Amino acid sequence: MARSVWKGPFVDGYLLKKADAARASGSKQVIKIWSRRSTILPQFVGLTFGVHNGQKFIPVLVTENMIGHKFGEFAPTRVFHGHSADKKTAVGSSAKS
Amino acid sequence: MARIAGVNIPTEKRVEIGLTYIHGIGRRLAVDICEKAGIPLGRRVQQLTDDEVIRIRELIDSDYTVEGDLRRNTAMNIKRLMDLGCYRGLRHRKGLPVHGQRTHTNARTRKGKARPIAGKKKAV
Repeated sequence: MARSVWKGPFVDGYLLKKADAARASGSKQVIKIWSRRSTILPQFVGLTFGVHNGQKFIPVLVTENMIGHKFGEFAPTRVFHGHSADKKTAVGSSAKS
Repeated sequence: MARIAGVNIPTEKRVEIGLTYIHGIGRRLAVDICEKAGIPLGRRVQQLTDDEVIRIRELIDSDYTVEGDLRRNTAMNIKRLMDLGCYRGLRHRKGLPVHGQRTHTNARTRKGKARPIAGKKKAV
């Protein structure tokens, strides 16, 4: 179910401060954040965030299209390397009964 | 034979059924359209007067997105997600379910027919 409009978008408060600071200082540094659950707001556009994926920070350059999405959507938490061949067959296809 | 919204030629069916042959119009919208155009339910498409056909055509043109436009719309939305690099876009790219369904089993609609995994030992 969608979030009620009257509540406004959800953002962790400290993000706003960090974004403002980055804006003010004009630094192009990656802003590390853990708040994957926060909505991307218009004032974040143009900044680069390092969104934590549980292991490391994925750099995300926020563009206009991303507004309304959550930060977590841009930092996948799972890495799929494909299925390995079955170990039993790999070890001994001849020794198998 | 009535051509409405481009390619569509519904046949001897009732109007509210015939209209559902248009991509983007289901039973509900079809009935809505009939009501707005002042056509009694149960009328057959072949019994429509030219005037009524034109009324339906104009209604659909002005108020609804159908056929090519609708398809393009959907494709654009998906493309937007894919270009954005967000999770939903990645799922679309990989042809996996987008809404968080399980993929351990099932998910065959998205994944297509089962492919054998190379080197996997079959149970004896």
